[in-house]
Amino acid sequence: MVWQQENRLNYEDFLQRHQLMTLLFAALFLVLSLRLFHLQVIRGNYYRNQSEQQRTHIVVERAARGLIYDCRGDMMVRNKTGYVALFYPFAQGAASSKAIVEKLHAILKRDLGPAIIRGWRSGQAVRLANDLTRDEMFRLQEQRLVLPGISVVNESRRDYKLPEANAHLVGYLNEVTTDDLEDLEDEGYKSGDWIGRNGLEKQYDAVLRGQDGGWQIEVDALGHQTRMVKRLVPLMGSNVHTTIDLRLQQVAYEELLKSPTGRGAVVALDPRTGAVRALVSTPGFDPNRSFTHEFSQYLKGKDLPLFNRATQGLYAPGSTFKIITFSAAVNEDKINLAETFDCTGKFVLGNKTFACWLKTGHGPITLIPALINSCNVYFYQLGLRLGVGMLGKYARMYHLGEKTGIDLPSEKRGLVPDIEWKRKKMREGWQQGDTANMAIGQGYLWVTPLQMALTISAVANGGTFYKPYIVSSVSAEQGETISTTESTAIGSIELSEKTWRLLRGALEGVVKIGTGRGCAIANFPVAGKTGTAQNPHGNDHAWFVCYGPVADPALAIAVIVENGGHGGTAAVPIARRMFETYYEGTLSTATVAGVSRTQS
Amino acid sequence: MIQDHEEKTLLQKFADHIDWVMILALFYLIGTGLITIFSATLHSGHPEKFMVTQTAAIAIGVAGMIFLTGFNYQYFRQMLPYIYIISLVVMVTVLVGGSTVRGTKGWFHLGYFSFQPVEVVKLLYILVIAGFLDSRWRDTKKFSVFAAGLALLGGHVLLILMQPDFGSTLSYFPVTLVLMFVAGVEPLYIGGAIIMGGIAVGIPLLTTFFRLQPDLLILHPRLQYLVSAVGNLKHASIILGSITAFLFTACWFLRQLKINVSWLLPLLLTGIIVAGSYSSLVVEHSLKEYQRKRLIVFLNPEIDALGSGYNIIQSKIAIGSGKIFGKGLFSGTQSQLGFLPEQHTDFIFAVHGEEGGYLWAQMTIIFYFLLVWRAMLIARESRDRYGSLVATGLATMFAFYAVINIGMVMGLMPATGLPLPFLSYGGSSMVGSLWGIGLLLSIHIRRFTH
Repeated sequence: MVWQQENRLNYEDFLQRHQLMTLLFAALFLVLSLRLFHLQVIRGNYYRNQSEQQRTHIVVERAARGLIYDCRGDMMVRNKTGYVALFYPFAQGAASSKAIVEKLHAILKRDLGPAIIRGWRSGQAVRLANDLTRDEMFRLQEQRLVLPGISVVNESRRDYKLPEANAHLVGYLNEVTTDDLEDLEDEGYKSGDWIGRNGLEKQYDAVLRGQDGGWQIEVDALGHQTRMVKRLVPLMGSNVHTTIDLRLQQVAYEELLKSPTGRGAVVALDPRTGAVRALVSTPGFDPNRSFTHEFSQYLKGKDLPLFNRATQGLYAPGSTFKIITFSAAVNEDKINLAETFDCTGKFVLGNKTFACWLKTGHGPITLIPALINSCNVYFYQLGLRLGVGMLGKYARMYHLGEKTGIDLPSEKRGLVPDIEWKRKKMREGWQQGDTANMAIGQGYLWVTPLQMALTISAVANGGTFYKPYIVSSVSAEQGETISTTESTAIGSIELSEKTWRLLRGALEGVVKIGTGRGCAIANFPVAGKTGTAQNPHGNDHAWFVCYGPVADPALAIAVIVENGGHGGTAAVPIARRMFETYYEGTLSTATVAGVSRTQS
Repeated sequence: MIQDHEEKTLLQKFADHIDWVMILALFYLIGTGLITIFSATLHSGHPEKFMVTQTAAIAIGVAGMIFLTGFNYQYFRQMLPYIYIISLVVMVTVLVGGSTVRGTKGWFHLGYFSFQPVEVVKLLYILVIAGFLDSRWRDTKKFSVFAAGLALLGGHVLLILMQPDFGSTLSYFPVTLVLMFVAGVEPLYIGGAIIMGGIAVGIPLLTTFFRLQPDLLILHPRLQYLVSAVGNLKHASIILGSITAFLFTACWFLRQLKINVSWLLPLLLTGIIVAGSYSSLVVEHSLKEYQRKRLIVFLNPEIDALGSGYNIIQSKIAIGSGKIFGKGLFSGTQSQLGFLPEQHTDFIFAVHGEEGGYLWAQMTIIFYFLLVWRAMLIARESRDRYGSLVATGLATMFAFYAVINIGMVMGLMPATGLPLPFLSYGGSSMVGSLWGIGLLLSIHIRRFTH
């Protein structure tokens, strides 16, 4: 005790305040004591009653998710019965839970892993195994007596048809994470729930997931289960009906796999409504395996199998963009049909040389043959005449550079560059060469296959942009329709009659005599445009955008094969097979439904 | 007499001067804690695992405590800037390289065990803030000292909130304010800070609370008006205006009664209230709805009985059902059947109350107070002002930890996730608390030396 004497005044001031604080602490502890007395002595009987009545536990019974159908009513995603082992630790008294897990391992002849210990403390029913086979289920049932507290229940699980073809369209399920729960707690998600990832499973999760039910189980004072009090029946989720044609989906997938690299995407739209007929991205993955260890291999895959190339892949449109350059030039009267440019196989601009794909050159060439033969030299000069502003304006009129609004998550918007953009991003001025490149769909343009499908379907239907949609209606488990999707126009492009006529004629020419010859089908005339997009990652990407039949277009398709080389050789055959399948389909429907009428 | 003194060995001197009451309280609390943890972890099937970990933590804690008792605390006084910098570095390190446990990036994983550095860092903070107030003891009335103290506090609190570990910051505020008060800081500043903080946190929480009870709002339209003032500038200004008018009238009235109140006081209070209301907007935006719910639901857990109110309801049932004599060790139905959440950590006192009954639980509260009271006594008798302030800071820390935790378990305080020192399962908390006791003993043992 030194400062007490050295600095009397200061110490006394301290002491006074210090005493006040000691009193404050004493008061706080007094409050705690009074509360304790209140709870335990005064209200003790009330709470003892409460604790004795509180003998019910809830075991969650998962609701079956809604089904997903294609446009013909064929099942794309259905449910199958799975078996789940549940364990009630409180039926065991204190110890032995570990021993029981070991017995379970012995009966199943496999290790369920450390995951089953998770959630042990919570004292609620623990999910021991999510994926028992039928065989294992029977073995467990036989050994019931050795395994007190364990019960096996049915639980529906997902069964994806054509899993790899539909993977990106439909998505997959896995368990909600704690991060998800922070945002979704208010929407009724709880830990252990499944949640849709990607595709329709994610987009329509709220519709599909239904409402979990459960059993209330009564336990006695020692925690032994005495009886089931009540069962809340789980409510199945609503069913989702799509515009997808499974046959087209399958053909597209198989053909893409047969393509030179097996990587690519196909989007097929109905140009009359915007309904999505097929949407495939390869390589695919198997959503049925989303709860297994192998699924993480997909995340590491060099080919990015989880990546939806159809809506998220960004590519240069290549020569398919000539459709837009063509539209701008004719609609703005910037070109005379008879006017020729001389293609020598290359085009010199300043100190740079731009090549045509045909090294020998096309010779003197006019607009229509230039599009049919996809002459780059012609379009470089056409582009320079139009200027970057006009090219950009028409690209945006064709809805490039903005999302289409399809009912799938995480769609990419792509990019239509302009002078301002380049100055900001690259910190350099726009060059004439940039304009020339843009006119043939190279340079800074980025589009998704879905956007190109929307572009070509607008050409097919005379300029209307319908919002692409996959789900046409939602219905309840019993069948009554809950909601339907109407086809909605999100905009239109007004071009002169002459422009449409010339453009369509030229696109028909591409398939009849030009680069798209591989798609010429008897009885089913098709029009389209190939593209061969250069890219820094290897071989050119092969494009083909097309529609058919020409007289009354019912199907518009965009195909891309990554690093597939020439559009005419890699992409065109895929579209051809799809049109053929579609055509066969209409024939067979006609024979089934309309035949009696036609023949009588 | 002098001869007698010299004959004693070091150990004997140690034994003479050590605070045996404190040691007794420690023994009681740790013993009770071990028994209760054993009971609370029984249904996991391997309570011995928890025992081993906890005992290891006690061993590390006691070793550090003995070392600190022997170490002269006055050396810390000379190293304040370094201690503060080290404490900040530790917390930045855990933010960068720490691991995340239940959403909080506040842990170091070291081989077999993990450690939560904030439990020790807060001791460093007490050493620093006490040293700062000691070094400025002549100027403690100045506003600059008050502001600088708040800045020291802000550094720690911000880093902890970034983890984010809301609960751990809670003990910082009472420790700082109590230390400032006993060091001689103007009570007006401290009161102002408390009012401002109370308003800033209180407005968003209370509006959430009322929003959860729509019936109440329909019955009392005036409440509806108050709630609507959040986010409605017109209503807010009317309410603030009437409060200001009231304050000035009250001041005028008091002056009429010849009670000398400065006109500055209502002006200052108005400023504080406006500032508090304004910062409540910040709090409103930084807390998510479910966090606000969790903080306020203790006022009436029934409004969210299956959600955020569940823990409080279950823990009140557990304690209350223990009645006077308890249900007996290892026989609490609430704890053994798994109704209690976090029962071996944050809610350990609920298990204790259920199985030990009022007699034992009350005894534990008394022993807790004994510990705090001895710490305050050490503060009185310290040989220098620094020791007094450090001891007061530690006493405040223990007091508020106990009040916040036991208060939460009994439904008097919001659920914030703070452990109960010496009783809760958790190595970091045990080690930090024991080292704190080491500091107290170090101050106590040197009370006569020169």
